Amino acid sequence: METIGFLMDGFAVALTPYNLMFALFGAFVGTLIGCLPGLGPANGVAILIPLAFTLGLPPETAMILLTSVYAGAMYGGRISSILLNIPGDEPAMMTCLDGYPMAQQGRAADALAISAIASFAGSLIGTIGLIMLAPVLARFALTFGPAEYFALFLLAFATLGGITGKNPMKTVIAATLGIMISTVGIDISTGTQRYTGGVLELYEGIDFILAIVGLFAISELLFFVEARMGKGRSKVKVGKLTLSFKEIVSTIPTQLRGGVLGFIAGVLPGAGASLGSFISYTLEKSVLGKKGRFGEGDIRGVVAPEAGNNGAASGALVPMLTLGVPGSGTTAVLLAMLISLNITPGPLMFTQNADIVWGVIAALLIGNVLLLVLNIPMIGVFVRLLSVPPMYLLPIVTMVAFVGIYSISHSTFDLYFMIVFGVGGYILRKLDIPMVPIILGLLLGPEMEKNLGHALILSDGDWTTLWSSPLAIGLWLVAGLGLVLPPLFGPLLRRRMRSAIKEGPVSD
Amino acid sequence: MTGMGDRILGLCLLVLAVAYGWVAQQWPEPFGGAEGVGPETFPTMLAIVLVVGSLYLMIKPDADARWPVGKSALELVISIIVLVVYALLLEPLGFIISTTLAVGVLSWRMGAPPKGSFVTGLVSAVVVFGLFNYGLSLSLPNGLLGGF
Repeated sequence: METIGFLMDGFAVALTPYNLMFALFGAFVGTLIGCLPGLGPANGVAILIPLAFTLGLPPETAMILLTSVYAGAMYGGRISSILLNIPGDEPAMMTCLDGYPMAQQGRAADALAISAIASFAGSLIGTIGLIMLAPVLARFALTFGPAEYFALFLLAFATLGGITGKNPMKTVIAATLGIMISTVGIDISTGTQRYTGGVLELYEGIDFILAIVGLFAISELLFFVEARMGKGRSKVKVGKLTLSFKEIVSTIPTQLRGGVLGFIAGVLPGAGASLGSFISYTLEKSVLGKKGRFGEGDIRGVVAPEAGNNGAASGALVPMLTLGVPGSGTTAVLLAMLISLNITPGPLMFTQNADIVWGVIAALLIGNVLLLVLNIPMIGVFVRLLSVPPMYLLPIVTMVAFVGIYSISHSTFDLYFMIVFGVGGYILRKLDIPMVPIILGLLLGPEMEKNLGHALILSDGDWTTLWSSPLAIGLWLVAGLGLVLPPLFGPLLRRRMRSAIKEGPVSD
Repeated sequence: MTGMGDRILGLCLLVLAVAYGWVAQQWPEPFGGAEGVGPETFPTMLAIVLVVGSLYLMIKPDADARWPVGKSALELVISIIVLVVYALLLEPLGFIISTTLAVGVLSWRMGAPPKGSFVTGLVSAVVVFGLFNYGLSLSLPNGLLGGF
């Protein structure tokens, strides 16, 4: 029961007024980020990182802020799904299926309220799962040697494309590019200058924060410029809340199923929140069968995917916190924050930085309560902000990104670098090269090289050490599957997801 | 021919991989003699992976994306120029003036009416400047408005 003790300590950290204030702020901003067009969760968290730095926040506060933003973004994604039939972020896609028909039947307020409750339930289940699973996994991860870590990093890259990924070769290329960028600078173990070209600013390597902000924020701006989607969306009426208590109770089984399934999907490498909401929606549909009116505005069709994707969001924190290996773009950005706070992610964090880990977990619980409170009465505010046109929003977001990067080092050199990353990111995204593996490569590259070095020194230069233990072999196998399975099953799953959406009567 | 985009990318990556790998072989042996892993070991592995990846792209390219042409391309180039000029002028002109111009031009080019764009630029610049300089006591460049 030491976990309970740790959790109490975590609450003591998270409940200080200072941290609580940042959790509230994070939850609010996160919901905004989730519902505004052109600001995905990873993007939003990335822009906030330099700001958290310049504010000089202590590590636990910085992490609490970003975790609340992360949780908030998952709530926010549903708002535009329900009101406009446009998912705010990818995991909210399935919420369109029944959410929008509900809105068309004049039950928008009900859909928003019940989805907020479902998000809360999913997140709560996911966080409880996280509390139970993370310490166990962390203890297990302590048995990992350098060779196992090396294999684990490979597994992370191989499964990052996800089961629905299109071209695994492009994931490999993206990851390699990211790791290559991370090798610029002075080599830690030998002191050799690598790829610096004698430029002083490059000696310390390329700051991954400016790379992340460039790749996400600047390339997003360029995409909007190209698509000329500057015009806003028309205002939407929400209407009155008619949700009855009986209706809420009737969705409880759905909430439980969705949350648990979502959590499992979040923990597993390569699944993620999108798949979490998809699985829980399909399961719900097959469990209830003909009793439901799925696709025509069934309330459980809103509950299942929302519980699923919020459960998955908490689940995705498990590998990030215990192994230092994130499974999604947003958790990768959270990892970036940890690394820049000089905290080594991984199993040791649970003993060395227990206050931060448990503070974050407690903040996740508190953040969810705050989010539920924010999301029901204040939904009108978010709905109004939904109609802010991107043509005003994106330039301002870009400016905030500039300010953040500039205030880290007060040098314009970093700004040029960020623009270069933005343009590069735009071109690569156009060519279907995913951004997340690049970022993960940037973050994990140095660790990967370090572990490779340690493993080979321990074995006196014998390369077979990398796959000599059963655990390492297992990890290699899963990594191999992660690359081989998507081309086989990906098209099938993608077709199912697409046809599920097309079946909806609203796809005009 | 379809898949030109991927083929060109593959070619660029191949050149990059070879150059990256070649540079790695030029580093002097580190002090203390060669061990199992030198500074060049890991980069060499990466170069090999990227060579394989780039060859795959050239042999089996995906269908082409639709690249912006004409006016969209021009708008893109304008946006990139605005960003570079913004970074260039941030210190000499100061935060408020350069931000008003940058945000204004960007919003205007994204389709907002010019007056609204520059007002948005000015308001957001003043708010952020005030927040940072007085609220958080972090200094953004004053530039021309240094007297304040």
